[in-house]
Amino acid sequence: MGLHGTGQSIASTLTARVPLAVAPLGAAEPSGPALSLAPAHEQSLVSIIGVGRHWGRGKDRRAVLRDVDLELAPGSAMYISGRNGAGKTTLLRIVTGILAPDSGAVVVDGIRIFESWREYHRRIGFVAAGDRGLYARLSVRGHLEHAAALAFLPRRDRRGAVDETLVRFGLAELSGRRTDRLSQGQRQRLRLALALLHRPTVLLLDEPRNSLDAEGLEMVAGAVDDVVHRGGAVICCGPVGEPPAGGFDRTAVLEDGTLRFA
Amino acid sequence: MSAATGYVTALLATMRRDATIFASYRFRMISQMLAMLFTMTMFYYIAKLIRPGATGVHGQYFAYVVVGMVSFAILTAALNTAQLVRMELVAGTLERMVISPLGPVGGVVSIAAFPITYSICFAGVTLLAAAEVFGFPVRLIGIPPALGVAALAAIAFAGIGLLFVAALLAFKAAAGATWVIAGLSILGGVYFPVVLFPGWIRWVSEVQPFTPALDLLRHLLLGTTPTQSVALELFKLVAFSLMLIPICAGALALAVGLGRRRGTLMEY
Repeated sequence: MGLHGTGQSIASTLTARVPLAVAPLGAAEPSGPALSLAPAHEQSLVSIIGVGRHWGRGKDRRAVLRDVDLELAPGSAMYISGRNGAGKTTLLRIVTGILAPDSGAVVVDGIRIFESWREYHRRIGFVAAGDRGLYARLSVRGHLEHAAALAFLPRRDRRGAVDETLVRFGLAELSGRRTDRLSQGQRQRLRLALALLHRPTVLLLDEPRNSLDAEGLEMVAGAVDDVVHRGGAVICCGPVGEPPAGGFDRTAVLEDGTLRFA
Repeated sequence: MSAATGYVTALLATMRRDATIFASYRFRMISQMLAMLFTMTMFYYIAKLIRPGATGVHGQYFAYVVVGMVSFAILTAALNTAQLVRMELVAGTLERMVISPLGPVGGVVSIAAFPITYSICFAGVTLLAAAEVFGFPVRLIGIPPALGVAALAAIAFAGIGLLFVAALLAFKAAAGATWVIAGLSILGGVYFPVVLFPGWIRWVSEVQPFTPALDLLRHLLLGTTPTQSVALELFKLVAFSLMLIPICAGALALAVGLGRRRGTLMEY
């Protein structure tokens, strides 16, 4: 079991537990008491520490995440389920850095997002929910080549990474095809391929089953296993009742803004 | 791979991506060339009605306006970056760039790179066509320094473009770009010399990089006398470029931070 820690145990590993607002991009580190990382915390690949987030203003203000704690050790995979609107996507978006938490912090491989956007995101692969994020008139290979450059892969590795990914996700025969001429399932495979091309240390999947057939689901499971075997960590979110694709160490339900571990 | 190499590689890859998508619309470039030829034909004949010497180049209003038009096209390409980013937001494609090592500011700059580069190339083609078809009197010796001025101007314009992207990300609106483009098309000196305007409105030509860039390009390509000294015009252009890029990139970073806190960064 690579996953360790719940809110209780994480709190005990912190010598100074303080709400830690993630600063805006380019801003200085927040003032106030520094977060002291105890040994168990340092061993984690992903640390979500006391993360809170609300949506709305005034009367409509609603807490979506309340003091969420989660630690993932290298070689672990976590499946989080929850009702629609429970905050699963919000949690993943906070980990990607697209969204700042109201309180708390996320540490990936010892790096917080405002310390180095570049190094933080070199380690992350993210598949967003839905079917957006592709250029209709760009080929499958064109997407992957662009993603390889965005991931700062060295020139010598890029072509090999693209070719390998095409084969791995069953896209080799479609490599020259524009994405507006792909089926929904083929597009979803491409979206997965784009997130995994650079062999991320941390894989974040938001409802990845979208339109995938059995073969596609096996590819998701294979991708999860691959990240875990490489010593990475996976967080996958999906609706309640949907079986996870892949081998997950542990599952939790996100309910009332908190994670309830199974 | 060093960080600098990574940024440059990602920028070039994004330019390649945008060029591929642009080329997939087969008639777009032909349509642009035809539109440009029609416009030049119109101004070629309008120029025959303009009194000699009205623009500082005796009997050469056509050449004056062609340089104005191509420069304005570069400005428009830069200022339209916000529209491109808006399209990427709507399509959900900006997200991949934002959560990559390239980051949001690098992503926006790379989105702006192809349209600006293309507009500079298209400006060159337009000038060649004007010389070949309409006998446009270009000074060949002025072309290399004019390319340098165009690049410098493009950097300054790109800075303003980033400012409108910042407004887009922070307030989900970038209508200001349209107003600036419309205003500069009249007050920037594209079609008429700014000295023709009343004194109280001429200050507009002093507070933006477009007019000095245009003055320099006309001086280099046509031999016109710039409104102010060449050194001063060049100084203004360099100063605008050096100031605008860091200020506007900073504003963009602040807008990204605001969008992250509000949760609206990827929304439109």
